Amino acid sequence: MAELDGVQAEPAIEGRGLSRSYGGVHALNDASMSAVAGEVHALVGENGAGKSTLIKILGGRTRADTGTVSVGGREVKFAGPDAAHRLGVWTVFQELTLLPWMSVAENLMIGREPRSRLGLIDRRGMERRAEDTLAALGAEHIDPLALVEDIPLSQRQTVEIVRAISYEPDILFLDEPTSSLVEREVVWLFGQIRRLRDRGTALVFTSHRWNEIRDIADRITVFRSGRNVGTFKELPEDDAVTLMTGRRLEALYPQRPPPPPAVPALALKSYNARGVRDVSLELRKGEILGLGGLAGHGHRELFFSLFGAEKMIAGTVEVGGKAVRIRNPREAMRHGIALVPEDRKTEGLLLAMSVRDNATLAVLRRLARFSILRHVRERQLAQGLIDRLRVRTPGLSNPVGALSGGNQQKVLLGRWLLAEPNIFLLYDVTRGVDVATKHEIYELIMRLAKEGRAIMLYSSDAEELAHLSHRVLVMREGRIAAELSGAELDAEIIVSAAVRDRIAT
Amino acid sequence: MASSAEPVMPGPETPVPTGQDAPLLLRLLGSPTRRRILYALLASIVLFAIGQAVRPGFASPSGIRAVLTIASFVGLVAAGQTFVILIGGIDLSVPWVLNGASILMVTSSLGSNARAIPALLLTLGMGTLVGMLNGAGIVLLGVPAVVMTLAMNGIMEGLTLGFSGGMTCAACGSYAPPVVQAAVHDSLFGIPTALLLWLVVIVLVSVVLSMTTFGRRTYAIGNSPRASFLAGVDVTTCTIGLYALSGLFSALAGIVLVGYGGQAALGMGDPYLFQSIAAVVIGGASILGGRGNYIGSAAGAISLVTLVSVLMAMNMPEYGRSIIYGVIILVLLLLYGREDAER
Repeated sequence: MAELDGVQAEPAIEGRGLSRSYGGVHALNDASMSAVAGEVHALVGENGAGKSTLIKILGGRTRADTGTVSVGGREVKFAGPDAAHRLGVWTVFQELTLLPWMSVAENLMIGREPRSRLGLIDRRGMERRAEDTLAALGAEHIDPLALVEDIPLSQRQTVEIVRAISYEPDILFLDEPTSSLVEREVVWLFGQIRRLRDRGTALVFTSHRWNEIRDIADRITVFRSGRNVGTFKELPEDDAVTLMTGRRLEALYPQRPPPPPAVPALALKSYNARGVRDVSLELRKGEILGLGGLAGHGHRELFFSLFGAEKMIAGTVEVGGKAVRIRNPREAMRHGIALVPEDRKTEGLLLAMSVRDNATLAVLRRLARFSILRHVRERQLAQGLIDRLRVRTPGLSNPVGALSGGNQQKVLLGRWLLAEPNIFLLYDVTRGVDVATKHEIYELIMRLAKEGRAIMLYSSDAEELAHLSHRVLVMREGRIAAELSGAELDAEIIVSAAVRDRIAT
Repeated sequence: MASSAEPVMPGPETPVPTGQDAPLLLRLLGSPTRRRILYALLASIVLFAIGQAVRPGFASPSGIRAVLTIASFVGLVAAGQTFVILIGGIDLSVPWVLNGASILMVTSSLGSNARAIPALLLTLGMGTLVGMLNGAGIVLLGVPAVVMTLAMNGIMEGLTLGFSGGMTCAACGSYAPPVVQAAVHDSLFGIPTALLLWLVVIVLVSVVLSMTTFGRRTYAIGNSPRASFLAGVDVTTCTIGLYALSGLFSALAGIVLVGYGGQAALGMGDPYLFQSIAAVVIGGASILGGRGNYIGSAAGAISLVTLVSVLMAMNMPEYGRSIIYGVIILVLLLLYGREDAER
């Protein structure tokens, strides 16, 4: 660990002694950080360590309670992101800020639309400019005329990034830019980052993926509990994890239980849904069945239609050996199926409602007598869950949206644990979750499997699939393209099975 | 919390502040909803004081009783409005459901006591049914709530005018059954029945919202229909039920009003649309759903009606009342909006 003593060059942007609390909880506590021109600076830390808050403050989106921000050596007080933009400070925030019902071109050119002689927006010109911008930055695969709501998440994130770098910023913050990008776009982004660095931009980004950090960061600053705990030129992953969590972590992936006997929990025969073609599979009791493949190849539709949230078109579904028809999530729950969806913020949790309300939502009926909720019982149940999963929350009545991502995910998983289903459909449950929480989630999955519950797991992380699953089914264009088990449970094999051309096989 | 999507958890060594540690006053005023209930009640007290200064006797027990009784009519309608606003909906069919109910009450009972009970049930049933249709249109056909309920208001206006022949005919007995009139005017332990009824409604609605599965699901849908659906909440049934409740309360208000005034009249429901929505919003509920409670709406109804009464006591002409009334609501909503933005 080569820790830097001082920064040689004058920082392009610097925050000193920054603190910010939300409702009495310190998100940032006397944190300092600076970036110099022509460097790529990675911020690492667990969810809730304060990285995003720091970026929001330096990017002008929120203000610090105390502390100073200076740009180019001069102290500034940003009234909003606009003020930051005027000083060349741009940010790609974690939550997307595009307007979904407007086109890519309109979003890219917002606030700088070319005008016609009459002062009206010159649509044709705007679209041409947007197309030029996309092409100049190597993102020509995105259709400038498409509505943002019609393009996949990864492309939206790309548009978001294109918009920021098209202003040729002096200082650019990227808050987890890669979490929703696909491989190819990550390569593209890193090319752009290098280009900007070489022309003197100061770049700051956050990521939970260590190989990315190793690839591209010139310096690494580690955050823990709202404070920077060190800045390094080089930092091995193990040391980083120790610094981030304050303790050493055993192996990330726990030992998986031996493969279970072939007692089917769920069987699909010639199953069809929108985007899912002719899928036949068997999920056994106590089995962890991984689903691999590129995003957008039918996993989501398979999960949602199995859970009754989307229509199934044809085929048969057997739960515990009996043919069933599932028309809505309530019926799925009655058959012992649980779904933890992709986007916990819009599809999983009720962010403004309390931890307790969120935890017990799926078991309300069981908690009620003559539809009156038994409050003491509900509290006990929620509290027991919070203790068991070690959810860090000030209390049961705090809004779940105030928790860190990892703790939010635990509450969501906990909701379904309370429902005691036999079949878990887990859709990318570790996305955007820090390494310590990931480990806890893995252990939880193993425990569930040992209890004899069946788990179907989709993950965008092939490494994760390879380590957790007994078997992996790789999906391509809505079909099952490969079944991998034993020695084939390897991240590289999974990825190559996902992208292999169908004719070539 | 919307502005703080940043995860904000303290580290293990940071002491975690809990709700219990906060000073009592802060805890009482903790949530904006609770703060607004307090504002509304304080405003009513101030308004009563002003009324008393303008016209001695305004804040006498009988004066207060009169204001509260009138507030109870708004409050009943606001109960239904609270239910639908909590899921981010709105019920614009209030005026003619209420009016239709009052006319159905008098025409079906023909002013006779013997028919009072069947007429009562028929009228409440009509309100509930209309509400269910509202809910079904919104949740099954995907019609926006504003459009659906506004259209329903028009339909109810047409039906009411058509069936009553343009006016309630005096010959066929356009009076509420005497027993209903007596019931509304009666009082128990010095409290008018209309007020007692409202008290019962306040308790019932509050229990439903805060202590039942139905109430919890209502808040859940108001926060995110999608996430609620995926957690197994029956969004369809729940939505239809909520609009049915709104129709039921509009009809109930129509019955109480016709009992109070003795006679039904065309247009008697008109003031209740704006007032019911205003009461809910003054009471701290979010117009986008998910936040608020009925105690707030009740407090909102009281402060609103007190304001109108004070303006009348000041002999403010009708047009002046309208203007002041409108300006005050605007200012309130502006202030509340700001408070939300700062969070």
